[in-house]
Amino acid sequence: MSDPVIECRNLSHHYGERLIYENLSFEVPRGRVLGLLGKNGTGKTTTINILGGYLEPSAGQCLIFGEEIRSMRPETRTRIALLIEGHVQYAFMTIEEIERFYARFYPRWNRDAYYGLMEKLKVAPRQRISRMSCGQRSQVALGLILAQNADLLVLDDFSMGLDPGYRRLFVEYLRDYARSEEKTIFLTSHIIQDMEKLVDDCIVMDYGHILVQMPVGELLETFRRYTFTPGGAQIPEIPEFYSTAVVGAQAELYSFESPATVQGVLERAGVPCGDLQAETLNLEDAFIGLTGKY
Amino acid sequence: MRKAIIYKEWIKVRLFTPLAVSVLAGFTAYALLRIGRMYAFNGAGSVWLAVLDRNAVLIDNLKYLPALLGLLLGLVQFVPEMQQNRLKLTLHLPFLQSRMLLWMLGCGLALLAVLFIAQAAAIWICLRWLLAPELVARILMTALPWYAAGVLLYLFTAWIAVEPTWRRRLFDALVAAGVMRLLFMSDYPRTYDTLLPWIALLAACALFFPIYSADRFRRGCQD
Repeated sequence: MSDPVIECRNLSHHYGERLIYENLSFEVPRGRVLGLLGKNGTGKTTTINILGGYLEPSAGQCLIFGEEIRSMRPETRTRIALLIEGHVQYAFMTIEEIERFYARFYPRWNRDAYYGLMEKLKVAPRQRISRMSCGQRSQVALGLILAQNADLLVLDDFSMGLDPGYRRLFVEYLRDYARSEEKTIFLTSHIIQDMEKLVDDCIVMDYGHILVQMPVGELLETFRRYTFTPGGAQIPEIPEFYSTAVVGAQAELYSFESPATVQGVLERAGVPCGDLQAETLNLEDAFIGLTGKY
Repeated sequence: MRKAIIYKEWIKVRLFTPLAVSVLAGFTAYALLRIGRMYAFNGAGSVWLAVLDRNAVLIDNLKYLPALLGLLLGLVQFVPEMQQNRLKLTLHLPFLQSRMLLWMLGCGLALLAVLFIAQAAAIWICLRWLLAPELVARILMTALPWYAAGVLLYLFTAWIAVEPTWRRRLFDALVAAGVMRLLFMSDYPRTYDTLLPWIALLAACALFFPIYSADRFRRGCQD
């Protein structure tokens, strides 16, 4: 594995009395696209805020490019592009003004990348960003990120408020960019189908801790949904089984274990499972399987 | 990068500036015309008498104008930064964060300085036709705390706007209101002369208040 671009060690954070998470540790290797998935309130935006240097964690440390975020040198910040939730930008500027403003801060600024994307927008160059639609604003934010030519992109809920067309455009641009330029991306989104097209690795968070961190390919290959008819028997609650539920006569559970292992566990517990069916999942179903529906 | 910071601040204040110039020019012209009319109708003696015997400041209808401009400029510059937490974008730029804030404040202070100096110069030039230089100096020295109030209220507005918590904002606003009350307490000419160095010191300190608020924002302080 190459050098980690992001290293978070033993992060803990509380809002007042409320614990968000404790001893959270993860790394993002160079050149990988990592998606942070979790239900509302599990601490995704908290993590992004810590990574952006806008929140001091209660405990632990976060390093980006080997530097502590809160004391990071301005030169290192040129290597990090940040997308704030809701594609927030300086809405009082026009497309031209905002490009002129940012260009002076970033030595590797790629004006063509920005204007290439802006041509798709069909808006007047002098139109203020505040008067654009949410989708158009997202493209301005994306264009600025691409033009910055940063080594690390941190994107908070990039698909928020976007219609399917703009979401697709955003994802495709970002995916091609990340692959061709070997960029590292750390992102969150509520739309998990988009993540599936984009991310190499994922972290799935539950309240207070990380449920899994692994390559998406491995997750989709090994995590399965099992359905069977238990005939009224009690399904054992073991850590290997996720989101166990019985609806009508049909039981459902999710597991990383192989069908043979699951069948063995169920049979040892006296649960009839002769009709056990295993199916592989897409990322959204895997997420639901790991975190539960509620 | 500094040019870019100035450019952004200019974009924020470009609508405010002509408005501020118009309001300032209008009120100043009105105050000076009023003095001119007094002069024409009642004669020079009555104007001199008003200044010397009755301690009239003559331009007292301009008293709150610098404070109003300071307040509005602070809002125009810093409210857009706090809407949708845009300050995150500003603080993420590859520029030392405290220096960034100082440059932003410097832009505002430079604009206020130009406006206030232009107004004071107009008053000086016009009143020099009517009054002795000592009396004009006395009027302008009386107005000096009003300008200081403009600068201070600008810095206080930035301080309050950038502050991330409402509870603290309320405290900051009370401090700002207290200082303003102090600066506008007396109408007697040159009451504040001996306090001017302290007011200048307070303004120098207040320059760092918004930086403190920005640091609290960065630390993620919340209500």
